[in-house]
Amino acid sequence: MLATLRDLMIYNPEFRIGAILLGLVAGMAALSLASPYAPLDTFVVAPDLPPSFAHPFGTTSRGQDVFWQLTFAIRNTLTFGIVVAVLSRLLSLAIGLLAGYKGGWVDRVLMAINDTFIAIPLFPILVLFYFVLRDAMSWAALAIIMALLGWAYDARLIRALALSLKTREFTYTGVFSGMTTRELLVREHLPYVMPIVFATTMNNMNWSIGLEVTLSVLGFTDINSPTVGSMIYWANQHTALVAGVWWWIAFPVILLVALFIGLFLLAVSMNEHIDPRSRLRRMGAEGGA
Amino acid sequence: MTATPAADREPKRASAGAPREPVLTVEDLKAYYRTRHFGIEREVRAVDGVSFEVRDNEIYGLAGESSSGKSTLLKAVAAAMRPPLQVVGGTVRMRFLAGAKSLHQASSAELAQLRWRRLSYIMQGSMSALNPVRRVRRSFEDFAARHLGGTGAAFEAKVVAHLELVRLDKGVLDAYPHELSGGMRQRVTIALATLCRPDLVIADEPTTALDVVVQKDVLDMIRDVQRQVGSSLLLVTHDLGVHAYLTDRLAIMYGGRLVEEAPTETLFRSPQHPYSKHLIASLPRIGEEAPKVTLTGGPPNLAEPPPGCRFHPRCPLVMERCRRETPALTRLAPHHRVACFAVGGQA
Repeated sequence: MLATLRDLMIYNPEFRIGAILLGLVAGMAALSLASPYAPLDTFVVAPDLPPSFAHPFGTTSRGQDVFWQLTFAIRNTLTFGIVVAVLSRLLSLAIGLLAGYKGGWVDRVLMAINDTFIAIPLFPILVLFYFVLRDAMSWAALAIIMALLGWAYDARLIRALALSLKTREFTYTGVFSGMTTRELLVREHLPYVMPIVFATTMNNMNWSIGLEVTLSVLGFTDINSPTVGSMIYWANQHTALVAGVWWWIAFPVILLVALFIGLFLLAVSMNEHIDPRSRLRRMGAEGGA
Repeated sequence: MTATPAADREPKRASAGAPREPVLTVEDLKAYYRTRHFGIEREVRAVDGVSFEVRDNEIYGLAGESSSGKSTLLKAVAAAMRPPLQVVGGTVRMRFLAGAKSLHQASSAELAQLRWRRLSYIMQGSMSALNPVRRVRRSFEDFAARHLGGTGAAFEAKVVAHLELVRLDKGVLDAYPHELSGGMRQRVTIALATLCRPDLVIADEPTTALDVVVQKDVLDMIRDVQRQVGSSLLLVTHDLGVHAYLTDRLAIMYGGRLVEEAPTETLFRSPQHPYSKHLIASLPRIGEEAPKVTLTGGPPNLAEPPPGCRFHPRCPLVMERCRRETPALTRLAPHHRVACFAVGGQA
């Protein structure tokens, strides 16, 4: 595992840059543990101060230090993205692999549900959920809702792969050797679809974080728990740009862009690395057949 | 070429002695593809009443053109059917299956007992027989560990010892399939199939994707391994050269039925069935200048096979009776069976 990471660092510039960006973001999130201020406290520092040594990212109009506030915000945002990604990956893997391998009525039923989810417009549904749930709309609830809505595209992708894997000789060999369906899917088919899953995990995190930020900026989530989106929401509420408090919006946006780019580059490099052929080519080895 | 007859490489059975029950006995096996699309039912009789047996330490060949039902027959014999393929009649008995029942009546637990240890399968196409994203070691663990027993170092020692038999070193275990050459990959699949020293190995076109030089190598190796492990081998390929080189007995399949069965040499020297005659005559010979006689027509559509003998529309010796009745596979000589009214004493 360490050797893999070392190789990636040496041979894959996309991974290097992506890892550095994501490392910065994660480091930022980790710093929240050392914050001198509680995340929900307001007016703990003088408001509207520009970036300085005492307050590297300045302070907000609500008397919060942007830097420390941002550590909490990015931690919540990142956790949100990871939770949605993991939950929706489990769903899409289970459904995609099973539908593709089993075929027949299992496939038809699962894909009918799948296509329904693909056809549903997500944003109005999420807004609707907010109006129905109101105060019960915590970020955990939102994460579960997004996970339940976000698996469909990838399940179809995985099903397409599983369809072709189903007729490969090693699947027949596995069936013949007496592997159960579960063993076959987990041991033989799962490793094959993993590159796609890795790549889509990063993309899914981008998607869910992006939607969460959109909802937060518009005020359709629990705006009291600090996320990058709700920070921007509050900045807009205090007309930060008009008031000249640009740092309140600029730093969250910069951090968010760093996170998006980092995830994207990791997705690209992972995808390439997991295929042993392109990995060896990148490492300059003319190995293989 | 190879010689690793260590003490543990002795065949597990005494090959001589009293004649024993055949390893595999297939009787009147019928396997059809049944599909139903938009309410239209279709039935393709890919294997229609096939009987044969495979004896101890024997390489039994099965030849036939494409769509003659060879691969379907293998699937049915290995009890590895998947819908829409169904076995609709006949029995497949194996000596080592308790109670003399057909493989298709055995419970899945009983089948699991048989597989790999008693009966194994070399799949068609070495290119995709191994999972491209799993190291070879993992494929061995996934497919064979449960049957061979032993874990970790003990299992690995057995695998490495067995790989020596096919002249591969243990380094291949850590390779991905794409890092091996076609011949090496085929040897890995042969090692995988024979790892548990099964009584019967079924091989479906084991050398089709290889060039002739590697092919000969692999064929030699199949024979070496077969002799040392003491398995019987059921080999299917359309390549008559392979059959001539390797098999002890040979059966010719046409349109889902066996038309002739004889010791390989007999079949090549004096084929009896008109189809076998044409098949053997079509083989190129050095110095021959006369053009080959071709049969008119094509192989029968197995969804609507011709009545009577399935070869009759193309047969040069066709009689009125061939159009109505189906000839049975009857014994011509002690080891020679033919299904034709025009041959032998079938009155």
